[in-house]
Parts: sequence; structure tokens; C-alpha cells
Amino acid sequence: MSDNRATQSHKAKKLIERMSKKLNRQMVGSMAACVHCGMCTEACHYVLTNPDDPTYAPAYKADRIRKIFKRHFDWTGRVLPWWVGAKSIKTDAELEELKDIVFGKCTNCRRCSINCPMGVDYATFNRMARGLLVSVGVMPEGVAVVSKDQWEIGNQMGVLKEEYIDTLEWMSEELSDEMDDPEAIIPIDKMDADVVYSINPREVKYDPRTIADAAKIFFLAGENWTMPSEGWDMTNFGLFSGDDDLGGAVALRLYEKVSELHGKKLVISECGHGYRSTRCEGPNWSAHSVPFEMESSVLTMLRYIKEGRIEVDKTKNNVPVTFHDSCNNARSCGLFEEPRELLNLVVTDFREMVPNRSENYCCTGGGGAMSMTEYTPQRLKSAKIKADQLKATGAKIVVTSCHNCVDGLADLIRHYKLGMEVTQLVNLVANAVIVPEKIAVEEAATAEKPKEVAVEHSLEKFKILVVDDEDDIRLYYTVLLEDNGATVIQASDGEEALKLAKSEKPDLITLDLNMPGKDGGEVFEQLRKDPGTAQIKVCIITGRPELRRLIYNRPVPQPEGFLDKPVDDSRLLYDIRKILEVG
Amino acid sequence: MSELLHFSENELQEYALLIMACVYTLRIIWLLHFKAGRERQAPTGQFRTNTNKGIVYSWMNIAMPWAMESTRKKAFFYAQFVVFHLGVVFAIGLSFIIPYAPGLLESGILTAILQAVIGLAFLVSLVRLYRRITDKYIRAISSPDDYFSLFLLAVWFFFAVFAAPNKPEQGEAVLLTFFILTAFFLIYVPFSKISHYLYYPFTRYYFGKTMGYRGVYPLAKSKH
Ligand code: SF4
Ligand code: SF4
Repeated sequence: MSDNRATQSHKAKKLIERMSKKLNRQMVGSMAACVHCGMCTEACHYVLTNPDDPTYAPAYKADRIRKIFKRHFDWTGRVLPWWVGAKSIKTDAELEELKDIVFGKCTNCRRCSINCPMGVDYATFNRMARGLLVSVGVMPEGVAVVSKDQWEIGNQMGVLKEEYIDTLEWMSEELSDEMDDPEAIIPIDKMDADVVYSINPREVKYDPRTIADAAKIFFLAGENWTMPSEGWDMTNFGLFSGDDDLGGAVALRLYEKVSELHGKKLVISECGHGYRSTRCEGPNWSAHSVPFEMESSVLTMLRYIKEGRIEVDKTKNNVPVTFHDSCNNARSCGLFEEPRELLNLVVTDFREMVPNRSENYCCTGGGGAMSMTEYTPQRLKSAKIKADQLKATGAKIVVTSCHNCVDGLADLIRHYKLGMEVTQLVNLVANAVIVPEKIAVEEAATAEKPKEVAVEHSLEKFKILVVDDEDDIRLYYTVLLEDNGATVIQASDGEEALKLAKSEKPDLITLDLNMPGKDGGEVFEQLRKDPGTAQIKVCIITGRPELRRLIYNRPVPQPEGFLDKPVDDSRLLYDIRKILEVG
Repeated sequence: MSELLHFSENELQEYALLIMACVYTLRIIWLLHFKAGRERQAPTGQFRTNTNKGIVYSWMNIAMPWAMESTRKKAFFYAQFVVFHLGVVFAIGLSFIIPYAPGLLESGILTAILQAVIGLAFLVSLVRLYRRITDKYIRAISSPDDYFSLFLLAVWFFFAVFAAPNKPEQGEAVLLTFFILTAFFLIYVPFSKISHYLYYPFTRYYFGKTMGYRGVYPLAKSKH
């Protein structure tokens, strides 16, 4: 092993040592077999959007890892390193460069892998390289933060148990109200259920509506189901960070909880990386054979319709929709046709984007890219290919079975001003589902008392401070909230917000993060640290979800709510009522 | 026929083949000493897919230019690939026909076919060399071995075209060069990227196994 190890940094030495433990036959084959033919080049969305920069080519990126492999593990590279392009990695600066490639220039989407005539699976060894870098402490800050949360708190978004249970109870109440049936609830930790439903913490934090929608479907299907009080997170940052230990530990938490509840089947809500991690990779990472069945909620919903357990009326979803294949669901787990079958049952106008299925492009927010803010500009640039693809469909809604893709797509839709909405199949199914007559009649009776309901949900007693530097956004929130009874005051920057918070003592502050001068993160911390404002409830509303990190990293209690822009009327009111405990 | 040419056509090739076989065996042992990844989960995907279908599909993938977007979109490049590899097979075949079955070349038909295919492969190798030098993506990923292997094959094809008639009485230089190059080629191959065909069955097998098990292979192509 030449390349003078003495001059190698400690981290570089460790990385090479650990590589030997990570290599398996598949990976070695992929490392050795590349013929540098370039057939994979145009498969990559980064290449298509950076045509002048060959360093984005999959084989070029792969070679940054391959050359280390060749130098240390392949004798052609040991004997004739220069001849075969083998080179060791020596300094911490080189490790940083490698980090920027494996985390910042590849989303592990596997599109190049399925386009390689040799069967070189770059995405897999790119993940291995991520894991090696993480093992020596070289990783984007976001990866470190999220991994820490998942190790310590048990989920990627640092959602505490109380917050999770509180959200489930809240959604349970919503369901009982909607169905006007006290038995329409979200059962927590029910033993011997036929279905244990696991979710993405994003649903608790930003999208509780998906939990309510799923609960409605389970209830109407007459399912014997439950949600676990712990170990409920089916997402797994180990997939993105390449850390198999984290991946295994996270998957095991969920498996053990399902076994403890004697659950017969684990249903995984719509999340590409969660499905892949829990369903496909978890048993391998944790070296644990799972004794129960696992399936995506897409299959569950489809089965309910096919078996007649729920009925749907597709005319309720009559806006043109298109479908985005999550890379993890599709290219790594073979979920291509079922979502389309389901979609065709619940919408009237489904338009394929081109290309689709195994050839679809990544949402460009995959591989954990949404948590790595340092690479946001190149991510959004690479998203042009996806934006063009979406635009060409003429659809108003893009449907995807992945929370990560929801964030990635929403971000690029905002960036490229496509004016589309992103939603999931569960939302469309819940919207199309026909509520049986008995419930419907009761619902209608309830609807006859609009005043009562309106009063019950009114924001009349509340004073809300709207903080945003964009005039039209402030105006929009103000009109909406005032129409619903709230007293609204406005601030267009951080200083003004702090001043008004002290003098006006609002019940709630909606706070933008990205503002000139004092940013939302600083304002939030000051609010929390000042005893006079610490109790004011805060809902962060940001157009740049990756900036949530600005909040997570602060040593103060978390805000009561998060919303991503653009936010629609119902969503804003829904969350604000939740935070203010109205209705 | 001179002794040198006789040696080059026979013993030299046998020694070279032996060396190649030994190095290949070591290469396979090396590859197999790495543990194989294991799938513990139940299979995913459509019922139409399974591990065996995935493996067969994966192996056959290269013969199905319609299967991958990359080969579909680069039909000309794929055609070059076919001609180039046929040229390799024919030139290797020629190195066996000349010493062991020279009679086959007497009719002239086989010679003409061999010359045509190997000649085309020679042209393709020039196109590929040009591409490797001028295409910025390919240049960025090319090592000296990539250039040299291609150059070596181009020269070998060139001499194979002229060696095909097998007429030592008209001068041995071409035949000698062809056989010495063949021997060098056989010895050099295991150390170079040309050995990719050794890995092909393995990488394709494992990729097909995984993708078949996960319902990804056979690929669900884009539908318009
Ligand atoms: S990864 Fe495959 S397609 Fe890409 S250059 Fe290497 S052999 Fe060719
Ligand atoms: S895995 Fe996807 S993002 Fe990464 S190099 Fe391949 S095509 Fe590009």
C-alpha cells in the first residue's frame, strides 16, 4: 500500500481502512467494470443542466471514489496507478472535495445505474462513500444535524413524543367530528391490529392533513388498525448519510414496536426513502428478518378500492394531474404501476409526464439534498430539467408518493414559478372517497349549522402578528385572518416584529425566515429568550424549507408550527387553529 | 513459414493464453473473496418480475438496445459498439483459425467476411479514439489505459485485416505483427480496462439479481 501513508491525514487513513470493510462483491464489480464509455452521462439531471461542466458526469464522479479503490484494493492500481487513473486520498481538504461530490453533485437517484450497459451501480457506491465520510466526521452540516436528531430523538425532525401524540389526538378529534362518529378515531398502541401505520415526521410537523386523510380511509375501510406511540418514524436518514448503523438502528426501532404490538402488517405512508429504507434496506442493515408483512400505503388504498371496502368518486378530483415517480419507490423498489392504477381510479384527468416510470427524472431534492443547504443553488439549477418536464404536462397538480419529493418539487415549482400544487395519493383518495349515507346525512345535518361551526372555529379572540418582508404576502395573510375574525398587526422586518411583539403581546406570530436585516431565525431566538415574549406562539412560514435548520440549531424551545410557502387558505387556517387550539 | 512465425502463431499464443487464464483466475478469486450482499426482505415490485428474470434480463440487456434509454437514444453509438465487439471476436477467431484451421480461409468467403467486419471495427476504433480525445465528457474520464487500450485494438484490427488472407509466402511481416500483437493483447488484457468482459457477467448478474428481486428489472420503460 504505497502512496506514502505517513503523509495521509488521520481521517483519510480511517476512510481507507473502513472502505475495506464496506466493499462487497457488487460494489467491487461496479468499481472494476467501468469502461469509461460515457453511456450514462446524459442520464444524469446534473449533466443535462450543466452541459459545460464534465465534472457532473456520473462516471467522472464515480471515478473520484474509484481511484481510491483502485489505489488501495485493485492490484492494477497498486502497480501502475498513473496508468489506470488510481490515486489515494490524503488530506482533509481532499475529503472535503469528495464530500462536495458525493453529497452535492449526486442524489443517488440510480438513473445512471439503469443506463449503464455494464451494470455499474454508481448510486450504491456513492452511498458507500457518503457513509465513509460520515464515519470520519466529514459531512454537510444538515446531514450532521438530522442524523443527530434521528439517533437521539428517534426521528429526523426532532419531533418530540408529546408533539406526535398531541397531533394524533388532534387529528383523531378532527376525524370524529368529520365522521360524526365517536368511534372514528386514531387508535394508538392497539394490540393485535391488522395494520400498524407508520409515518414520516414531516406529516406531524408540516402536513398533519395527510394523517387525517389516511385515518379517514382506514376508518371507512373498516380496518383494524393502529399507530404506534413510539418508533413510529418510517423515514431513515441512514439511507442518505450512508450510515448503515443508523439505518439499521432506526429500522429496528420500528420493527420492534410492530412486533411488541403483535401487528400483522406494517403499512408505510407515502414516502420514497421511508419505503425503501423500511421495506427494502432495513432488514439488510439491521441483519434482522422481519416476521410481519410490510407494504406501501399506496397498495393498501388500492386494495381497499379493489375489494370494495371503500368507494370513490373520481369526479371530485377533476383538475389535471400528473405523477412523479419517486426514485426510491420506483428505481429501487419497483413501484411503478400501482400508483398509476390508483390515480386513475381517483382523478378524471391524469397526464403522464415524459419520461416516466423507471426513466423519470429525480425530483432533484432526493438523497437528502433538501437538508444540505450549502448545495441549494446547484440543486435548484439542476431542477430545471424537472421543471420543464412538469410544465410540459399542462397539469395543475403534481402527485407523488414521497414526502421528500413533495418538498423538492414544491421548492422547484416555487423557484421556476410553475404555479402547480404538489399533493399525495392519500389526499386525493381521501377527497374522492364516498362517505356512506348514514355518515353523510349526519354530516349534512351538521352542515346546516354553519353559524355555530363558524363561531366555534372563529379567531375572534386572537391577535396575530404577521411578519413578512413581502407586502403582498402580508396582505394575503392579513385579509384571510381578519376574514376569520382575528385582529391582525403587521411587521415587515425583524426589528419591527420584535418591537410589536413586546408592545402588542399578540397570541401568535407568523414569522418569515428569509428577511433583510435581522433574519427570522434571530428574531425567533430573541422572542424566545425575552421573558416578555417567550410564551407567544410562533408559526414559521418559509419559502425556503432548508432554512428550518436556522431554527433547529437554536438553543430555545421549538416553534409551535412550520409551514412552507406557498400556503393555501385552508392550510394556513388549519394550522393556525391548531396552534391556537381553536375548534 | 519461418520458425519465428510458427512460434508466434503457436507456442507464443499458448503461453500468452496460459498467462491470461492464470491472471483471470486470480482476478475471479479476488472478486469472489469479497462477500456478496444479501437481500433479507421479501421481494417487492410487480408479480411479473423475479430474481431469475432479473438476472436473465440483465445479462441480455446489452442485446436489447431498446431496453435502456441510453442505447435507445444513441443508436449510432450502439451500432458502433456491436461492430467493434464483433471485430474483437472475429480477430480473436482469426488468431485461432490461422494456426489450427487454415483451410477455412482458402475459399476466400470467410476471409472477405473477416476482413469486412474487422475493417469496420478498425474504422469504429478510429471514431472512438477521436471521440475519446475530443468529447470533453469522455476526455475527463479517460486514463492513459483507456487511450492505450483503444489504440492497441485499432492497430491490432489494422493488422488483422491484412493478416486474414494468411499468405506468409507473400511476406511474413503482417502475420508476425498480428500474432505478436495478439500475444501482447492477451497478456495485457487482464491488467487493463479491456478485462471488462470478465466482470460483465458478475456485475450484470448481481445488478440483475437485486433489481429483479425488487421488481425493477425488466425495466418499466417510459410510456408516452
Ligand atoms: S458507468 Fe457504465 S455507462 Fe458510465 S462510463 Fe462506466 S461503463 Fe460506461
Ligand atoms: S445517481 Fe442520479 S444524480 Fe447521481 S450521478 Fe447517477 S444520475 Fe446523476
